[in-house]
Parts: sequence; structure tokens; C-alpha cells
Amino acid sequence: MTSVLVVDDERQIRRALSLNFRARGYTVTEAGSGEAALSQIADDRPDIVLLDLGLPGMNGISVIEALRGWTSVPIIVLTAREDERSKVLALEAGADDYVTKPFGMAELVARVRAALRRSPETGTDIAVVSTSDFAIDLAAHRAFVGPESQIDHGAQTEVRLTPTEWGIVSHLVRHPHRLVTYTQLILAVWGPDYEPDQNLLRVHMGHIRRKLEPDYTRPKYFITDAGVGYRFQPDVPGADEASS
Amino acid sequence: MARGSLRIYLGASPGVGKTYKMLGEGVRRKERGADVVVGLVETHGRKHTADQIAHLDVMPRREVMYRGTVLHEMDVDGILARRPQIVLVDEYAHTNAPGSRNEKRWQDVEELLDAGIDVISTLNIQHLESLNDVISRITGTQQRETVPDDRVRKADQLELIDMAPEAIRRRMAHGNIYPAERVDAALANYFRPGNLGALRELALLWLADRVEESLTSYLDAHGISKAWETRERVVVGLTGFPSGEAAIRRAARMAGRVGGDLIGVHVSVSDGLSSQNDDSLAAQRKLVLELGGTVHDVVAHNTAEGMATFARQEKATQIVLGASRRSRLHELVNGSFVARLTRLVPEVDVHVIARSDSERADDLQSANRQPVRRRTAFAWLLTAVAIPLLIALTLPFRDTLELSTELLLALAMVLVIAALGGVVVGAVAAILASLLVNWFFVEPYYTLSIGDTDNLIALMVFVAVAVTTGALVDTASRRSFEARLARREAEALVRSTTSLALDPEPVQRLMEEIHTTFALAGVRLDSFDDGEWTTVAMSGDVTPPATATLSLSSGHQEERNGERTLELFGRSLSSDDQRLMRALADQLALAIDNQHLAAEAADAATLADVDIVRTALLRAVSHDLRTPLASIKAMVSGLRDPSVAWTPEQTAEALLTVDEETDRLNQLVGNLLDASRLQIGELAIDLRPADLAEIVASAVHSVSAPSGAVCVEIPAELADAMCDAKLLERSLANIVANALRFSPPGTPVIVEAAEIGRTVHIRVVDRGIGIKPEHRAQVTLPFQRFDDTPDGQGVGLGLSIAQGFVDAMGGSLTLDDTPGSGLTATIILPQGPLPQDESDPP
Repeated sequence: MTSVLVVDDERQIRRALSLNFRARGYTVTEAGSGEAALSQIADDRPDIVLLDLGLPGMNGISVIEALRGWTSVPIIVLTAREDERSKVLALEAGADDYVTKPFGMAELVARVRAALRRSPETGTDIAVVSTSDFAIDLAAHRAFVGPESQIDHGAQTEVRLTPTEWGIVSHLVRHPHRLVTYTQLILAVWGPDYEPDQNLLRVHMGHIRRKLEPDYTRPKYFITDAGVGYRFQPDVPGADEASS
Repeated sequence: MARGSLRIYLGASPGVGKTYKMLGEGVRRKERGADVVVGLVETHGRKHTADQIAHLDVMPRREVMYRGTVLHEMDVDGILARRPQIVLVDEYAHTNAPGSRNEKRWQDVEELLDAGIDVISTLNIQHLESLNDVISRITGTQQRETVPDDRVRKADQLELIDMAPEAIRRRMAHGNIYPAERVDAALANYFRPGNLGALRELALLWLADRVEESLTSYLDAHGISKAWETRERVVVGLTGFPSGEAAIRRAARMAGRVGGDLIGVHVSVSDGLSSQNDDSLAAQRKLVLELGGTVHDVVAHNTAEGMATFARQEKATQIVLGASRRSRLHELVNGSFVARLTRLVPEVDVHVIARSDSERADDLQSANRQPVRRRTAFAWLLTAVAIPLLIALTLPFRDTLELSTELLLALAMVLVIAALGGVVVGAVAAILASLLVNWFFVEPYYTLSIGDTDNLIALMVFVAVAVTTGALVDTASRRSFEARLARREAEALVRSTTSLALDPEPVQRLMEEIHTTFALAGVRLDSFDDGEWTTVAMSGDVTPPATATLSLSSGHQEERNGERTLELFGRSLSSDDQRLMRALADQLALAIDNQHLAAEAADAATLADVDIVRTALLRAVSHDLRTPLASIKAMVSGLRDPSVAWTPEQTAEALLTVDEETDRLNQLVGNLLDASRLQIGELAIDLRPADLAEIVASAVHSVSAPSGAVCVEIPAELADAMCDAKLLERSLANIVANALRFSPPGTPVIVEAAEIGRTVHIRVVDRGIGIKPEHRAQVTLPFQRFDDTPDGQGVGLGLSIAQGFVDAMGGSLTLDDTPGSGLTATIILPQGPLPQDESDPP
């Protein structure tokens, strides 16, 4: 049975979440502060942590930093704030995803499932990522578009991606559903010496969408999380599970 | 038999440690071998006190039956029979039970003293008869047990047990003075820092007065009439001259700094000839009184002697005088007043206060213009009188005097006149003198014809020399006048630039500067803003039509907006004055521009502050609104999910959460509305006498506290309070909700009320963690929440709304430690009108 740790200083939120997850068959434990969360994670080893960022005392980001020293347990950040910075900080500190309060349970449960699926980190040995509109052959460094695009059919059109575009696309499709921040993406594609420039990233993303998305004005695969980063959203069920 | 001696330990308030000190003294004397007994001591349940009693013999108390209860009183007969050397008697002001031998305990003590027994006793100053009124006004509690002051003053030793108000409050908070359960509204009110401070000051003053009394009797007894410095007594001389006010203010500061007395004295000289300015003298008397001093009148043969005698009588330590306006000649003839005064009272410091700037400026004005005119008039007078007189005096010696001698004498006279009156008067005098000499001294006599050529030349040279000298003298004096003017300009400019740099209100200061420097009746500065002229600043009388108008240049000008003019009233300016005026006007324009810039900078800073507050506020509100919304949304969306099988218990719990969270949201929205209403100042307040019990009950009901969590103790006969019932209910609900949140389980929040004086106090007492004193002021600001709270709910609007509402109703809300631990919130409201007011026949 999957175990969830809910960390929030608001008693009512903890109660709402544990009721919901219990009804869905999860085991739920609760913590009211960052310090309590740290010791409970060490003792109980939950499968996933739902963490409120606005904790009194030790704040959520410090909790993530403390955890990432020794565990890769998936962390989904809950935040009531509109503050982009704290989300970005949390993601860069090592959180896997975030949900803004108030959220629907369906959305939260979907995020929890996605986070649980990609844990432990397994993106590297995927060979081919397919969607209804395009396919990416990670091994061969090739991309194809077309209806029902399957590499085997040989009926698709190959599109040419520049090395930078390839770097962005391959990083995003290797981490399906996952929100990748601008900084993380720039680090992955250009390396640590590069001065992060979100505008350049935006231009490249525009090109990628023109090449891969069926309607680049309304992207359905490469989603922008405004002010935070990008997320690859595969539409074919199981596409993100190709490797497992 | 010798009378026993009485020693009293005096305290400013209960709990300073009088009884403890008394017992300590008893123990000490017992250890030295004296026979000490405890006549009567109340321990008030204080442990340290009880410990000390154990070391002493305690006399059994006398039991008195009064209306079915047994009262314990001191057994005077028992003590008299036992005949100890020293007896300790607590509470000197105590009133004995009815039917006792004496009405008051101090009378019992008198008997003991008469029997030759030494008594050590204790007393709180609120029991002193002379202080009773003032203390009941301060504390709002009427003291029924009083002691005549002289009974206390006659004590052989009086010792004040002094303790800082904060220390007393600490002892109180620790429960060292009264057990926590005995601290009710009245007692808590008594121990407010303001009260304790005032009581302490009264105690110190009362004792200081007594010290002064005994000092006076000591001085008299030993024939010492010299001043004896205990506290500063500053005597200031009132003259009615303008410099007096500065001297008075300075004297008041000197007296105030050292906590001394200010004594004004006016010495009238008994010859009745000296003139004074009665108006300004009256103003000075008033000023002394306003500054808390006393005013005395002394009649003497001589001002210095009168002042000296008075100073010695009053035991003055300082004498303050305004700077003299007497001329140097006056001082040479009569001697310096200050020198004489210091000779007469060498033991007193004499201060002479310089005249202020404006007074000097007045002098400068008159010095510049008047003497010139006066000297010219004098010169004309000399011309008309002295020259004919000289001729008349020398006429009998006409035959023996040479004409040249006569001419030299006349020339000397003309030179004097020219030097005084300038070239015109000099010329007239020379011609008059030459005509007279020609008529009387030049042959042929009594004609204007001149026989001798030498005489003609002599006369012509005479006129030429006289006119030239007059012209030279005139130029020289004009030069010196110009030099003085230039110096005045320079001084004015320096003053104005300094004032620009230092003065927070440079414009007004410059206006005054212009007003006084040019001896104008008035000056007004107008500015053209938004299509109309408005007066920015003015000084003096601006009613007559303006004599001149200057326009000020401004770096700020947009079309006509910002155009400014300076209008002058009362006098037109010379060309020199206009130059200086132009310079000052430029300064003025600069000052106005600076003021504008400063105002803009301040506005920007305020806006930035407002922004910070607004951001914090938005964040807090969004957090607080979102949190209950998040729970509700999570529950509802979860319940709607068809894939989840909910058990009935889970559904019930989920719905309960939704219900509670909706209430919480509702309360928060209500509080936000209240807070914004308070902020806009749009609060309809309906003040009328209201029954507190009812309001408290509905407030407690509205916070839906579990039973037993709130304990209400309101006396049935409590007076109505003047309040708006709805607002008070909301305030109380917020305070009680806050108290409940911080109360540990099992300790109820206590709501109690009491009448104190003409006010009603409502106290909400919790035993939670309390609030650190440094946070107390902030907690009633909106949107404050201390993050070390166990379960931080709410943006902390509750207490701030309560504070706002109570303030709006004309009451006060204070936060204090609960003795032990926790927070006590006290709302003080005025009482409703007394019943007899209502029963007045129409």
C-alpha cells in the first residue's frame, strides 16, 4: 500500500487530504511542522511527501533541502501563494512538482501518481517516446511527425531539429509530466557556464512547437507553466511508461 | 516612664516588601538580645513572610464577634501585660472591628508607645489622609482606612520602601504579592504601571516634604539663615522689559531640569518714580505661573537689596536676570546691578541671560535711523542758539579781541555744528556766523559792508572751511552708516542661509526674517496653483494695500502654475534695501522649491511603505482565504469523484470539515469587512448604556466554545457601560476566540467584570503562553500573527479589530500578563449615566 505523508500547519487541510487519500486506499500520516516532517520521513519512509511551503518555523524549502541530502522521495509542494519565486525555489531545491491551493483532488491524485511512477528516476534508458502527433527516437536522435506516427510504419515525415532544440526536447520527454524549471532546462542543455536567458529558451521553444505540435498556437504537449518552466504532457496512455 | 519610639515602614503600594522588612528588623533586634514580639502581622499567604514570622514570638490575637463572623484583632491588653521591648504591628492604618477599645489601630499603637514600648509598623501611602483624595482619583478606588498625617509625621523614624513599578509588576505576575486566583479586575487595575508610578512619586514627594520640614526646623534651631541646598530654587527677576521672557523660560528650564522650584519676583522701588511697562510685566507674571512657578512682589529702597533679601528668604540657589538695557553711563553712575547683587548674596549663583536675536534686531533698526535725525535737529538748535550766544558773550570784549580770534571761536562752533548736522546745517551755520561777525565785529560796525580787504578774505576763508568740513563730516558719517547697513545685510543673509539649512520650516522663518529685517508692517507670499492664488505664508499685518510686489523665480514653473509673488506692506524700500530684498527673495524661492522636493520625496517614501504593507496584507489575506477554501475544495472534489467508494463515516467527516471551514471563511470575511470599515472610518456607533452580562453571554455564544472552556463571572449588580452593544460583542468575541486558541486544554478562559470608579472593566484572562511585552504593541495592529503559535489561524485581525472597536467606543483595551502565565485583556469603558440623572423631573 502506498504511504503518503501530509505536511501542513493547517489542521483542516491535513484532515481533508488524509480523508481523501484514505478513501482512495493510501496509508496517510500527518506532520504539522517541518521539523516533525523530517523525523517522520526518516522513521516511516513514506512513498511520497505532500509539503506545504508556508510552514511556521522551518519553512518548506528548508525541508526540501534537508531531505534532498539523503533521499529522493518524491515531493509535491502545496502552496497557497501566488508567489512564483517560492515555487521555483522549491522546484530547484528538488521538489518534483507543485499544486496551488485550492486544488481539486483529481488533479492532486494525478500528480501524485505521476510522481510515484517516475520514482525512482528512470528516464534515461527510454528509446522511443510516441504521441498521437509525433515520435521522438532518443537513441537515433531523430524526430518524426504525422498522424499515428510510429517509427516502424515508415509513413511519417522526419523533421530536423537543431542540436539545441534536440537538447531541450530530449530533456523534456525524458521527464514526462514533470515540471522542469527554466534554470534546470538551461543547465541541462547549455551546461553550467551558460548565463540563463529565458528569452532565448522561449524562442527555441517556439521553434520546437512549430515543428512538433499540431497547432503551435495552442500547444498540447509542451506546456508552459508561466514564470516557472515547461512540462511535457504525453497524450498516449502509457507513452510515459514505455521504459518501465 | 519614657515614651516608646515609633518606626514606620512606608510603601507606595502593596507588595513592595514593608512587612518583610519590618519582620527582618524584628529578627535583627531579637538577635541582638531585645525582647521582640509580633503584635499582629498579616502574611497574605506570602511564603517568605511566613518563614520570617517563624523566628519570632507571636502574640495571640483577640477574637471579636461581629455580625456572626469572627474577626481577629491585636490584643493590646495582652501586649501591655507581656511588656516586650519592641512590638511589631502591621498595617498602621487598620480600622479595628466595631466594639474594640479603639476605633483605629494607630490609637492602639499610641497606647503601646505611652506604655514605653517601641513599635515598628507599616503603612501604605494611600492610607495617608492628605493623599486620600488624590490617590482615589489616580487609582479609582476609595480608601476607607486613613491615618492623620501628623500621626505619621510624628514617627521617630520613617523609612520608605521603594521599588520600581516594573519590579512590582514582575512580582505581581509571578504571583508573589497575591495568589493568582485573588487577582481580580480591581486589583489588576490598581497595579497598572501608570498607577504604580504615580503612587511612587507621591510617596517620594510626601517624604521629601517631610525632610524639608525637618530641615527647616533644624536650620531654625541652629540659627542658620544661609541658604541650604536641598533642591534647586530658582528666583527670576521680573522687569517688564522684553528680555525678561527669555530669562523666565531659561529659569524654568533650570528649575525643571533639577526638579526645583521656579519663583518669580518683581521688585518695586519705594520712591514710586520708576516707570514700568505694566502690560509686559503682567504677561511675564502670567508666564511664570504657566510654567508652574510662583510670583512674589517685593517693595524695597533699592532693587538689588530687595532682590537679595528675597532670595535669602526663599533660600534661593540660583538667580536669573535678563540682560540689562541700561546704558554704560547709567552703570558708571549707579554701579552694576549684577555686581551689587552678587556682593549681597555671594552664596547664590547669579545668571544673566542674553537677549534674543529678534530683540537685538529691534535695537539695530532704531540705532540706524533715529540718531541721524536727532543729531541734525540738535545741530540746527546749536546754529540758532549757540552762535548768537557766542556773539553776545564776546561783544563786550570787541575792542580787545582781534577779529581773527573771534573768527576762530566762531569756526570752532561751526565745525561742531557741521560734524553733527552735515553739510547743509554747516553751511547755514557758517553763513549765519559770518553775517553776525560781519555785523558786530567788522568795521564799520552794524553794517554788512566790509572795509578791510583782509577782513573780507578772512570771512570768505571762514565760510569755505566751514562748508568743506561739514561736507567731509557728512560723507564720513554716511559711509559709516552704509557700512553698518552692509553688515546688517550680510548678517541677514547669513541668518537666512543658516535657517534654510537648519530650519524644518525655512519658508516661514525667512518670511519672519524679511518682516523684521526691513521693519515692514507685514509680508505675504502668494502662490498661483491650479488656477487660483493662495497664500503660502505670511508674517505681520497684511491688511493695508501692498507697497511693493516682487515675483519669485522658480525652477518649478509650468506656465502660470507655481508662479509666486512676495507682497510687502507698510513701508517702501530704499534701493539698498531692495538689493537685499532681492537676495532674500531668491533664498525664499529656493526654500520653497526645496520644500516641494522634500515633500515629493516624502510622498514617494510613504507610497513605498504603503506598497510594502499592501503586499504583505494581500499575501496574508490570500493565504487565510485560500486555506479554508483549499480544504473545502479538496473535500468536495474528493466526494464528487465517482471512482472512490466513501464509507458513511468518511462522508460525514468530510462534510463536517466543509461545514467548519465555511464558518471559518465567513468569520474571516466578516473580520475583513470590519477591519476595512475601521480603516475607512465608516463605523456607525450607537453608544448607550448596556447590560454587560447580556453582551458577554452572546459574545461567548458566538465563538461556539466547548462547554466549560469559558467561565463568565459578572456580578449581578454591575453598572451599565456606555457602549455599542454590537461592537462590544464583536470585540469580546474576537478577544475570547483569541484566548481560547492559546489556552491549554483544561484551563478555562475567564471573563469577568467590575466597576472601578466611574468606569467598568471587563477582563478576559487566559493561561496560555501570553505575549512577550515587546510584541504587545504590534499584536493589535492589523494582520499581525506570531509564527510561533501552535496552530496559527487567522491573519491576526481579531485583536486589532477589538482594539479598533473599543477605541471607537471611547474605551481602552490593554494587554497584560496574567499572574502566573498567559494574557489578560482588559477593556475599560465609561459607565452609563447615574440613575438619578435619568430620574430628574422633566
